Amino acid sequence: MARIELEGVEKRWGAVVGVRDIDLDIADQELVVFLGPSGCGKTTTMRMIAGLEEPTEGEIRMDGELMNGVDARDRDVAMVFQGYALYPNMTIFENIRFPLRMRGVPKAEQTRLVHQAAGMVELGEHLDRKPGVLSGGQRQRAALARAIVRNPSCFLMDEPLSNLDAKLRQAMRVQIKHLQRELKTTTVYVTHDQIEAMTLADRIVIMERGAIQQIGTPDEIYANPSNAFVAGFIGSPPMNLIEGRVSDGMFTAPGIAVAANGIEGDRDLTLGVRPEDCHIGPSDTHLDGAVFAIEPTGDLTYLTIKAGEDLVEVKADRGYRADLDAPEHVAFNLDRLYFFDPESGIRVR
Amino acid sequence: MASVRRSRSESLFIRYLVLGAWALFCLAPVLWFLSIGLRPRTEIITPQPIYFPTFSLDAWHMIWEDWPMAKYLRNSVLAIIGSVVIDLVLAIPAAYSLSRYEYRGRDDIGFYILSTRMMAPAIVAIPIFFLFRNMGLLDTIWALMLVYAAINMSVVTWIVRSYMLDIPKELEDAARTDGASDLRILWEIIIPAILPGIITAAVIAMIFAINEFLFTLLIASTPDAYTMSVALANFTGGSDGVIYNAIALVAFIAFVPVFVVVVAIQKHLSRGLTMGAIKG
Ligand SMILES: Nc1ncnc2c1ncn2[C@@H]1O[C@H](COP(=O)(O)OP(=O)(O)O)[C@@H](O)[C@H]1O
Ligand SMILES: [Mg+2]
Repeated sequence: MARIELEGVEKRWGAVVGVRDIDLDIADQELVVFLGPSGCGKTTTMRMIAGLEEPTEGEIRMDGELMNGVDARDRDVAMVFQGYALYPNMTIFENIRFPLRMRGVPKAEQTRLVHQAAGMVELGEHLDRKPGVLSGGQRQRAALARAIVRNPSCFLMDEPLSNLDAKLRQAMRVQIKHLQRELKTTTVYVTHDQIEAMTLADRIVIMERGAIQQIGTPDEIYANPSNAFVAGFIGSPPMNLIEGRVSDGMFTAPGIAVAANGIEGDRDLTLGVRPEDCHIGPSDTHLDGAVFAIEPTGDLTYLTIKAGEDLVEVKADRGYRADLDAPEHVAFNLDRLYFFDPESGIRVR
Repeated sequence: MASVRRSRSESLFIRYLVLGAWALFCLAPVLWFLSIGLRPRTEIITPQPIYFPTFSLDAWHMIWEDWPMAKYLRNSVLAIIGSVVIDLVLAIPAAYSLSRYEYRGRDDIGFYILSTRMMAPAIVAIPIFFLFRNMGLLDTIWALMLVYAAINMSVVTWIVRSYMLDIPKELEDAARTDGASDLRILWEIIIPAILPGIITAAVIAMIFAINEFLFTLLIASTPDAYTMSVALANFTGGSDGVIYNAIALVAFIAFVPVFVVVVAIQKHLSRGLTMGAIKG
C-alpha cells in the first residue's frame, strides 16, 4: 500500500531530456495510467519510480519517504515488463518464486504463495515448464504472477499487453483491472493505447515530448481536453481538428461554417469536434463535403468526409452507405465543440 | 515437376561431392598421421612407396613405456583445465562489468584487454621467463597455467562479453526489482543464460592452450612440466634420430580430444568465432 509523489522530477542524459517537470501525486490504491506516443518519456518516468533510473532533478516519495538514492531492490515495487523479462533458464515456478527467494521468505511459505499467485492469474498447469515453450498469453500471466506473488506496495506495468493479439489483450485487460481492484495495490500502468488507458485508469496522465499534458479521470480527459494534443489523442477515432478562422462569432473553414459562441474578435482557431458529435443531416448543416471513404465496423459505420482539404471523421449508423464523392452534409452537436489556439494548441473554449 | 526435382537432387549431389572432397583434403593429413603412427619405423623411412603397410603398435608401446607420456598428458590436461578455470573466473566478472556498467575509461580498458592479444608473443618471452624464475615457478605446471590463462584472457573476455550484450537489459532490471544483488544477478540470471557462450569461450581457450608451444618450451625444462606439444619435440633429437611414427601418434593423440569437443559444440562455435562481427 503506497502513495507515490513525484515533485519537479526531471531526467536528462547529457543534452537529451527524457522527461521534465513531472509533478504527480498518486493516491494509495489508485490505478494511474501514463498515456502518450512512443518516446514521450513514459518508461523513463516509471523506471525512476522503480529505482532503475535516478532522477536528474526533483524528488520521488513513497508514503512520504524520500526514495532518491534508494536502490531498486530496496523499494517495495514489482514491475511487469513489456517483453515479460521471464528468466529463460528457470521454470515458471522458479520464476514466480524468485522474488520470494531473494527476500528470504521461508521455503514452505514460498511454495504456497507461488501456487496462490499462479492460481490468481489462472496459470495452474504450466508451472514446471520453461518460459520458452509458453504462448505469449501464458508468459504474460507468468510475469503478472511474479509481480503479485510478494504482495508489493506498488505495481509498475510497462506496456504489459502490447505483445499480445487484440483478443487476448482485451481479456488480459479485464484480468488486470479485476486483480488490481481485488489486491488494492497502487498501480502505475504505461501504455500508448488510449482504449487501454480509458478502460483501466482511475486517472490518466497524458504525456508528450517528456512533459505531462493533462492529468484527469478518463471522463474529464474525454470531456475536457486541455489542449489539442490531448483532444487528438483520446477517442477512437480521435477528435477531428480543423483549422479555420473565427470572425463575428462564426467559425469558417472550407466547406464548414458553425457558430462559435462566446469567442470574441477575429482570429485563427482550430475547431475540435468528435466523430460521435457529428450527425448526418439533410438540412441546417455545418459542413458540406464529399464522401471520401466508408468503413463499416459492424455496430457503426465510420464515414470520412472531405471538406476543402480537411478529412473529417463521422460516426454514422451501421446501415449508412453512399457512393464515393457523393455530396454529404453534417450537423455538429453545438454543445460539444472545442476551440484551440492553432499555435500553442491550448484550449480557448 | 519431375525435372525440377531431378535438378534439385543433382545440385544436392554436387554439393555433397564438393564438400566431401574438401573434407577429404582436410582430413587426409590426419589419416596419414594415423597411418604413419601405426606402422613400424623401418617402413616409414623407405624411399619406395608401400601399398600394403604393415600394422604395428611399436610406436604406441614406445610412447607409453619408454617415455613418460602419461605424465605429459597429465601435465597438459591440468595446465589447460587450470588455465581455462582461471580465465572464466576472471573474465566473466570483467565481461559483465564491460557490458553492463558505465564508467570512465571503460572502452579503453576493454580495448586494452583485447590489445594484449595483438602483440607478437615473442616480445614478452624474455620478461616472462625472468618473472617466473624470480617467482620460482619455472618448470612447473602452475606457470603453464598462468601463461595459458594470460594468453587467452582477452579472447575469453571478449566472447563472453559479446554474449552478455545480447541479454536484454529488462532481464536484469526485473531481477533487480525482484530484490537481487548484482552478484546474484550475474550468478543466477546472466551466467545460466549465456552458458553456451561460456562453453564456447572455454573450448576456444582450450584449443589455443593445447597448441601453445613457445612459452611452454620456455618454461618447461624437464618432464615435470612437459606437455604434449613440447613432448613432440623430444622425438626429433638424440641418438635415436627422428622417430616419425611416435611423433605422428602423439600428434594424433593431441588432436583427438580437440576434434571431439569441436564436433560436439560446433553449432555454438561459429558464433563464438565471429564474435564482434555483429556487436563490437
Ligand atoms: N538511456 C538513455 N539514454 C539517452 N536517452 C534515452 C535513454 N533512455 C531513454 N532515452 C530517451 O528518452 C526519451 C523517452 O524515452 P522512453 O521513456 O523510453 O519513452 P516511452 O516509454 O514513452 O516510449 C526518448 O526520446 C528516448 O530516446
Ligand atoms: Mg516505453
